[in-house]
Amino acid sequence: MSELRDGFVPNPILAGLVGICPLVAASRSLAEGAVYGLGAALCAVALGALAPAARALVAERLQAPATLALSAALALAFGFCVRAYSSAIAAGLWLYLPLLAVSGLSLSTLRRSSNPERFGPDGRSRLADIALESLMFLLLAALVGGGREILGLGTLTLPTPGMAPARLVFSDFAPLRILVAPAGGFMLLGFLVAAYGSLVRARGRGRP
Amino acid sequence: MSYLGIVVTSVFASNALLTYGLGSVPGRGEEKGGRTISALALIIVNALASSLLWALHSFVLSPLKLASLDILFFALLVVPLLKFLGKAAFRSGEGRLSRLAAKADDLVVGSLVFGIALISSNSGYSFPEALAASAASGLGYWFAAVILESIRERLELSDLPRPFRGAPAMLISAGLLALALMGVDSAFVKGMAG
Repeated sequence: MSELRDGFVPNPILAGLVGICPLVAASRSLAEGAVYGLGAALCAVALGALAPAARALVAERLQAPATLALSAALALAFGFCVRAYSSAIAAGLWLYLPLLAVSGLSLSTLRRSSNPERFGPDGRSRLADIALESLMFLLLAALVGGGREILGLGTLTLPTPGMAPARLVFSDFAPLRILVAPAGGFMLLGFLVAAYGSLVRARGRGRP
Repeated sequence: MSYLGIVVTSVFASNALLTYGLGSVPGRGEEKGGRTISALALIIVNALASSLLWALHSFVLSPLKLASLDILFFALLVVPLLKFLGKAAFRSGEGRLSRLAAKADDLVVGSLVFGIALISSNSGYSFPEALAASAASGLGYWFAAVILESIRERLELSDLPRPFRGAPAMLISAGLLALALMGVDSAFVKGMAG
């Protein structure tokens, strides 16, 4: 909480590089980044809440496949919701919606749920931890998507429903098209992680 | 597309790591002799996973109009089967086979194997084409990981500015490698390899 008061919240995603590689292809616009980030965040929080219950219901040998199937079901449900909301965004995220089942965030949540002792018996601190991490991932995905689109194409696609999401046009030419390609995504993430590391060091905090 | 075209496209133009962002950028060194085992594990696991999902997709899910549920069936049927095969190989084998099985077991649950299996089963390939594409995608990931690992070793010895040491340098290197591979376009490969 003291970190919130002094205006700096450590970002576990940028510090631990949890699940950021798919962002290079799944966040080419604000809409795609925000929806992918929301999906990863919702799946992780739902898994954090449901996986311990699922583990309690099935035999020990079946716990790993059962929680993975739960993760796949959550990703599938989110994918159907996105298709119903906007077919254009769903088409842009074609491969990455089902892959939410095994995103870095989901897998890290599954690993945590398999070790409840680490986070206290009531699971509250574990869920709070997962929720914070998920929120950070959502913000990062939206920031990366929006930044790449504005700098790369000079536009900003909003996550609005329907066949064609609303698009704000800031430039009639693409200023830095490479940023929208995976190559530009890797580079932008590299600079973001470097900037975050510098910020943490400047504030006298060690990287986890 | 010819088999050569499929292989070249899967390794270079549609590289699993550098084009699709599947798996993760390597960040630490591998033990000596681990590269051959890694390459074999990647090729075998991806080929097996994609074959099983292709069969499930073509013979069960598509006829029943349940193709959009493929990820659920993959998690319910294919992953446990691959895990079982990996454990059986680990128990029965010694030395290299058990290391290969252990490496394969680590790979099964991850975006790399899931992603490659989904791509090859949804690309409209025949069975041998899907098999070639998935094995080549595994090889392509290994190829990118080995190059990035070599870059990492060199970067550790160079005098980088402090903020760029470690993960940022690796991500920027991956970006530059992806930029280089953008020169190998699918249409170009199709023209050259048929």
